[in-house]
Amino acid sequence: MGTATEAITAPIPATHDRWHPSTAGWVARLTVLVLIFGGVLWVTAIVPQYWADRISLAVIYCIIGLSLNVVLGYVGQVSLGHHAFVGIAAFVAAFYVTEQAGCTAELGCPFDHFLAGIGLGVLSGGVAALLLGLVALRIRGLYLALITLTYGFMAERSIFEIPSLTRGGAGMPAPRPDGILGLNFTSDRGFAFLTFVFLALVLFVDWRLLRSKVGRAILSIKHSEPVAASYGINVTAYKLLAFILSGMFAGLAGGLMAFRATTVVSNDFNFSIALLWVLMVVVGGLGNRTGVVVISAFFALFPFLPELWTAADRFVVDTLERSMSLVTIVFGALLALLTIIQFPGGFAEQVSPITRWLRGQKFSMHPEGEGGHSKGHDKSKSDKGGGLLAKLGLHRGEHDEPAEEADEPEGKN
Amino acid sequence: MSVLEIRDTGIRFGGLVALEGVNIDVPEWEIVGLIGPNGAGKTTLFNCIMGLYTPNTGTVSYRERDISSLPTHRRVELGIGRTFQNIGLVRGLTVLENFLVAQHPRIGYGSLSALAGFPRTFAEERRLKASAMEVLDFIGLTHLAESRLDGLPYGTLKLIEIGTVLATDPDLLLLDEPTSGMGPEEAHEFGERLLELRKTLNLTVLMIEHHVPLVVGVCDYVYVLNFGKVLTDGIPAEIKSHPEVIAAYLGGDVEEETTDVPA
Repeated sequence: MGTATEAITAPIPATHDRWHPSTAGWVARLTVLVLIFGGVLWVTAIVPQYWADRISLAVIYCIIGLSLNVVLGYVGQVSLGHHAFVGIAAFVAAFYVTEQAGCTAELGCPFDHFLAGIGLGVLSGGVAALLLGLVALRIRGLYLALITLTYGFMAERSIFEIPSLTRGGAGMPAPRPDGILGLNFTSDRGFAFLTFVFLALVLFVDWRLLRSKVGRAILSIKHSEPVAASYGINVTAYKLLAFILSGMFAGLAGGLMAFRATTVVSNDFNFSIALLWVLMVVVGGLGNRTGVVVISAFFALFPFLPELWTAADRFVVDTLERSMSLVTIVFGALLALLTIIQFPGGFAEQVSPITRWLRGQKFSMHPEGEGGHSKGHDKSKSDKGGGLLAKLGLHRGEHDEPAEEADEPEGKN
Repeated sequence: MSVLEIRDTGIRFGGLVALEGVNIDVPEWEIVGLIGPNGAGKTTLFNCIMGLYTPNTGTVSYRERDISSLPTHRRVELGIGRTFQNIGLVRGLTVLENFLVAQHPRIGYGSLSALAGFPRTFAEERRLKASAMEVLDFIGLTHLAESRLDGLPYGTLKLIEIGTVLATDPDLLLLDEPTSGMGPEEAHEFGERLLELRKTLNLTVLMIEHHVPLVVGVCDYVYVLNFGKVLTDGIPAEIKSHPEVIAAYLGGDVEEETTDVPA
């Protein structure tokens, strides 16, 4: 062993002595978390109804962001046709409650019909994404991006123009559900709180995805398919699973979008919005839940921000004679460019000291376990082979007694 | 009984014949060497054994079972482990997570229950982490558990890779140039370790290797691959002095005309 081993083991502190926050530290972290989440709910509770409606849009964007993040961040492929999944689900959900369940704005809509509509939306989003996933097994990169683009346009020109499903330009009504447990979901504020519940659900699934073999499998596949397969990972199945899951998240968002707008119009789902969604995930930080959620909400609310400042509002609406949706996409593209050139890792990377602190690490600008060892070690001959291989548990080098053979760890079998 | 039987395996990429009529047997508990000049098709053969490439002809049998049509992950589940020439680890994941990836086929919960967040998935994850930490402790890398792979020294990565492949609990181990980048002494030491590993873990090994002294030192049998064909095979002592092998490796004079000429 000797120097070769020491060179590697020396610089980094042992993991089992890892730093843990004190009780006060945990209380501080918990307080901050409660303030953030409580603050969002509190704002939703006190703003005017029309702002609550915008907040529900922001929440839906968060779900869409998380949906795209699965494909873009975890699988590492671009989807420029996400508006197809969202749109199909929105129409399916609206079609179900209006045409099948017989809900109308006047008569209302029982909550279980609403749930069934959402469920069918999720299902249709999953099926639509499965078809794309099957293509993605064969092609990737630029060509897959082109296929997703075509897929989106195809949906716009075909499915979104079926009169019985979409009722043409007038749109398919999707009345909001009746309240349950004394809650009122027909108001904008009540509906906004309902969307929060669904966002929490998506966040939970996304959390379990990354913290289980599923996420590890998908991230391994992104890195290298042969390597992943050589660890016994079923590449085909997990790739499809990722696409289906992304489609189901998008389907959920689509269903919620339908009920938020109460009328689904096919114009709402076009390529420019799919592009905006891709941009917001890039700016948020590929593969990072927190970054994606925050920036998705920001992108959703961005068109309404000038209202908070009259001068800005006048400039955009009167002077430029432009709608904010156009400004959003230009602004989004610029932000994405800035992210790629100047701030790789996106918003998530910029706030990572805070998120790491919240997760119970020390507040520091660098992640744990990094920066401790110098890159100078790279490929240096002394680190290779011998000394380290001795550590493969085979302590019986030439110096040891043969009698120690019995000590060989058998647990490895 | 042969653990691995390769029969008449051939594969071509476009007009290039990468492998042709290859027959190889790897008997139980032997360390079989696979040598040959660069471009001879050694790694291609590994990819055929693992199912990463689909051969145009021939069969691959593992313990008398034809596995030619099985996907890679199924072959791994049967007990074939493989290392890569340029380190088959998942960059971007931590060392610990790489060991968890290696446990993948033996994880005791389904994908859907994982996504639904069933309590037993939490328990199983804790158990997996604990056992992965044990392995890390065993190879003395506990302190690196939370480190990402980027920036770790090459030698450490090689060690981690062998560790993760052993964590898949292989029965047949395919090593692709395990000593690349090592000096002669380290390569020799690796050979010693390999013999120990075989003893403790009951491994059968097929190994691509360039260090001739190592091959002679540890291999029970050697196949020489040249231009996609088995040039010759035999015990290491025979191979070492085989004129065609010397010619193939050193480009010296060939006493008899070799039949394969393509580039």
